[in-house]
Amino acid sequence: MIFCENITVRFGEKLVLDRFTLEAPEEGVTALSGPSGCGKTTLLRALAGLQPVQTGRVTLPGPAAILFQEDRLFPWRTAEQHIADVLSRDRRGEAGMWLELVELEGEARSRPAALSGGMERRLALARCLACGGGVYLLDEPFAGVDAPRAGRILSRIRGLGVPVLLSSHEVETVARCDRILRLEGPPLRAIPEKI
Amino acid sequence: MTTSTISRNSVGRTLLRAAIPLAFWLGVWQLAALAVGKELLLPGPLAVGERLFALAGERAFWRSAGMSLGRIFGGFAAGVLLGCALAALSSVSQWADRLFSPAVKVIRATPVASFIVLVLLWAPTGRVPAIISALMVLPVLWGNVRRGITQTDPLLLEAARAYRFSRGRTLRLVYLPSVFPYFASGCSTGLGLAWKSGVAAEVLCQPALAIGTALYRAKITLETTSLFAWTIVVIALSFLLESVLGLLFRRLGRGARV
Repeated sequence: MIFCENITVRFGEKLVLDRFTLEAPEEGVTALSGPSGCGKTTLLRALAGLQPVQTGRVTLPGPAAILFQEDRLFPWRTAEQHIADVLSRDRRGEAGMWLELVELEGEARSRPAALSGGMERRLALARCLACGGGVYLLDEPFAGVDAPRAGRILSRIRGLGVPVLLSSHEVETVARCDRILRLEGPPLRAIPEKI
Repeated sequence: MTTSTISRNSVGRTLLRAAIPLAFWLGVWQLAALAVGKELLLPGPLAVGERLFALAGERAFWRSAGMSLGRIFGGFAAGVLLGCALAALSSVSQWADRLFSPAVKVIRATPVASFIVLVLLWAPTGRVPAIISALMVLPVLWGNVRRGITQTDPLLLEAARAYRFSRGRTLRLVYLPSVFPYFASGCSTGLGLAWKSGVAAEVLCQPALAIGTALYRAKITLETTSLFAWTIVVIALSFLLESVLGLLFRRLGRGARV
C-alpha cells in the first residue's frame, strides 16, 4: 500500500498539505489530477522523502524513484550514461533496454543539448525507471510527449509491475490510468474516483 | 573547389589574420626606434632579433629559460593544488571558511613586492620565485573554485541524492563538471599572474640561472637589446604555457562536454 497519513507541509504562511491522507493500492497506475499549484508536486516530493513534513507519516512498499517536474539532466552526460549512472555495476548492460522502453534507442550517444524537449523528458523518465524501487512517483512524465507515444510508454511502464503514482494535466494520460485521484487546493484535498 | 583547396585557403586566411597585426606593430616599433635614434634607449626589432638569435646559441640561455619555466610552473601547480584544496575545505566547513577567507583576502591585497622581500628573508633564493608564484595563484583558484562549488545547480544535486548516487559519484558526475569552467578560468588568469610575479621575484632575488637574473644583469650593464630580447622570451614562454594549458582544457572540456 502507498500510504500517507495526516501529512502537513507549510511553506512560510502557505499551507500546501494540511493533514493530508492518501491511500493507493500497491499495483497499477494511479493518476493525481488537479489544477496547477494545488500541491501535487509537493505531495510527490513528500512521499519521496525530499520534502520534510511537519506532521504525519509516509509508508511506501519500498524506496521511491521520483521523476522530477524538471528534467534535471546532466548536460555533460550522454543518454546512455544517464541510465548507466543510476544502475549498479552489474546492471550497466541494461541501459539500452531502458532507452528502448521510452523509444530513445537511437539516441544512446546523444547529449541533452542534441535532444528535443520531449526526448529530454523521456530520457529523464527512463533514468527514473532504471533507478527502480518499490514505487514510481512521476511528476508530469509525458509533458511535451505526443499522446500515442505516451500511451505506448505508459503500457510498458505498467508491464514493469511496480506501482505508479503520477501527476498529469493531459487528459489522454489520465484516462489511461487505472484510477484517478482528483485533487484541489491548496491545501490539497482529494476525491478518489474509479474509472 | 576541392576540400583540400578550401582547407588551404582557410589556413592562409588564418595566417594572414595573425601576420598583419604583427607586421603592423613591428613596423610601429621600428619607426619609433628610428625616431629615437639611440639603441641604448630603444633598440629596433631587427637588433633585438639578432640578439635573440645570438642568445639562442648559448647553453646558459636555454638552462636559464628552462629553470625559470620549471620554478614558475612548479609554483603555479602548487598554488592550483592548494587553492583547490582550501576552496573545497571552505565549501564543506563554515569554520574552515571563516579561517581561510581573511587569510586569502590578505594575500590578495598584499603587494607582490612586499611578499618577495619577506619570502626572501625566510626561504632560499632559488625557492622564492616558486613560492611567490604559488601565493599569487592561490587566491585566484580559491575564489574561482569556491564560486564554482557554490554555483553547482542544487536541482542536480537533489537529483543525485534522489537517484542514490554515492559521494564519489556525485563528486565525479555533478561537482567536477560544474566546477570545471571556473577552474579553467582561474588557471588561465593564475598562469599569467604566476609568470609575471615569478619573473619579478627572480629579478629581486637573482637565483643563479633565471630569466629574471638575466633581465637584471642586462639592465645594470645597460644592454637594452638584451633586456628586450629576454622580455620577448618571457612573453613567448607565457604564450606557450597559455596555449598548452588552453589546448589541455579544450580537450578535457570536449571530453566532458562542459
